[in-house]
Amino acid sequence: MRMQGLSALGLLLPALAFMVVLFVVPLGVYLINGFHVFEAGRIVPLWSLRTFIEFLGDPFAYRVIGASLRLSLLVTLLALVIGFPLAYALHTRVHSAAGRAVVALLLFSPLVVSVVVRTYGWFILLANRGLVNTALGALQLLNEPLPLLFNFRGVVISLTHILLPFAIFPIYSVLARLDVSLKETARDLGAGPWEAFTRVTLPLAMPGVVAALICFTLALSAFVTPQLLGGGRVQVLPLMVYNSTVEINWPLGAVAGLTLLVLSVAAVWSLNALLRRLPSV
Amino acid sequence: MSVLARELHIEAQEARAERLRTGLLRTVLALGVGFILLPLVIVVVYSFSSVAYGVFPPPGLSLRWYGNLLAQDAFRGAFLRSLGIGMAATAAALVLGFLAALALVRARFAGRELLRAFILSPIVMPKIVLGVGWFIFFARLGLQGGILPLILAHTVVVLPFVVTILAANMVGLDPSIEEAAQDLGAGPLTVLWRIVLPQVRPGLAVSALLAFIVSFDQVESSIFLVRGANNTLPIEMFLYMEKWQDPTIAALSTVLIFFAGLLVAGVVLLARGADLRRLAGR
Repeated sequence: MRMQGLSALGLLLPALAFMVVLFVVPLGVYLINGFHVFEAGRIVPLWSLRTFIEFLGDPFAYRVIGASLRLSLLVTLLALVIGFPLAYALHTRVHSAAGRAVVALLLFSPLVVSVVVRTYGWFILLANRGLVNTALGALQLLNEPLPLLFNFRGVVISLTHILLPFAIFPIYSVLARLDVSLKETARDLGAGPWEAFTRVTLPLAMPGVVAALICFTLALSAFVTPQLLGGGRVQVLPLMVYNSTVEINWPLGAVAGLTLLVLSVAAVWSLNALLRRLPSV
Repeated sequence: MSVLARELHIEAQEARAERLRTGLLRTVLALGVGFILLPLVIVVVYSFSSVAYGVFPPPGLSLRWYGNLLAQDAFRGAFLRSLGIGMAATAAALVLGFLAALALVRARFAGRELLRAFILSPIVMPKIVLGVGWFIFFARLGLQGGILPLILAHTVVVLPFVVTILAANMVGLDPSIEEAAQDLGAGPLTVLWRIVLPQVRPGLAVSALLAFIVSFDQVESSIFLVRGANNTLPIEMFLYMEKWQDPTIAALSTVLIFFAGLLVAGVVLLARGADLRRLAGR
């Protein structure tokens, strides 16, 4: 269809108007609360930076931010370490297209099931008498159950699992588009398999690895898993937002939320900047 | 050893090493798939446990939790609510997203990439932040606790997915067909409905499925928009899990896993069917 700027705007208008009213305005209303103050159980709608200043001076706030960053970094690292070999194995060692489709389907299948269900599965697995501890005990590797539930460890394991498909998918997409002959040429020229991997395949796969860093942003925003499996010990920013809101301390919730937003946006921008820096395949 | 024998020996060694690497990587892949599926398998097995406390493997098998599930009206209501919201949000997102995707793909104007980034931004926003924002926003409008805020909020959440998939589908379209139609007198709505839309049907199906799944899974964005009797299913499950962890949730989860499996199988079969028909030259 011939489309001048104006008619294009016409097509975009419904979505844009919808987004402005139902996305920008609510976000604005929420953040404005950061400039209010919570006093004696009520929100005082004066314009003040007090909530911000208190937040920035509160050691608890820094513990929460630290926990959020630690969790996200750890989960992202694990997701990459586990996800890359899986993406690589799927790409190079499953020879039939149908086989690859089946395995890919299996790898992404948990995504169609609610995160609550998946978290619940980990709840059963990590319990003191759950599968993991029972198996480790049966193998005589433990004398007493390992506490994997209601602590940081359990949240790391389960969140890694939940975000794993988001690491596998970008890496696999990039690998699948690579020119096979490049690796073969390297081998023909005398490179060993490890050398061909580290000097040809891995650098070419970097855009996928960088894209997989989206797991960091997703981990930052995670709420269900830390709430259900953290046992109150994993205090991360989304939980702080939730708890503040429940306690009607919307100003604090807004400041914590703004911090979370800033971190998320910074992460995404860094990711995009990194991607632009890489040579495109 | 002669030169030839030595070369053959080296080749045999390399082939053995290659087979070893293949075996290793395939084992890693199998373990990975097992790890990915483990929580879901566990939930299904656990739903048949005969006891309420968290023990694995379960000491006995029983269907009592499915019975308990059927007795809970709250879950049934929540399920229907999630279903309705999902369908409404998907429909809204498809309409808005279809138009927006076409504009983003076709038109050249300043700020196009900025607008695209804007429409896609909810994906990377922490949903809990949006959730609180919607809570305050709709409370100010006096709409708290209703179904409409949930539908609108979910539409915002799934719109980026729809736009991304449809835009990808529309990149390959041939604009000259539409221009020919316009030359023959078709108005823009006709062109959209009868020329563009049929060509992106696969994209519409995939984005509809994805939008529905994403909407059905929403917790953080919706947890402040629901009222006790008005919960969506994942929130009902989430709140139940905070208090009790008995296998009733496992039974419900198994049912959901089953339906999700049917849904995916259905879409895969439809896709295969479409491919076969195309091969048959239809």
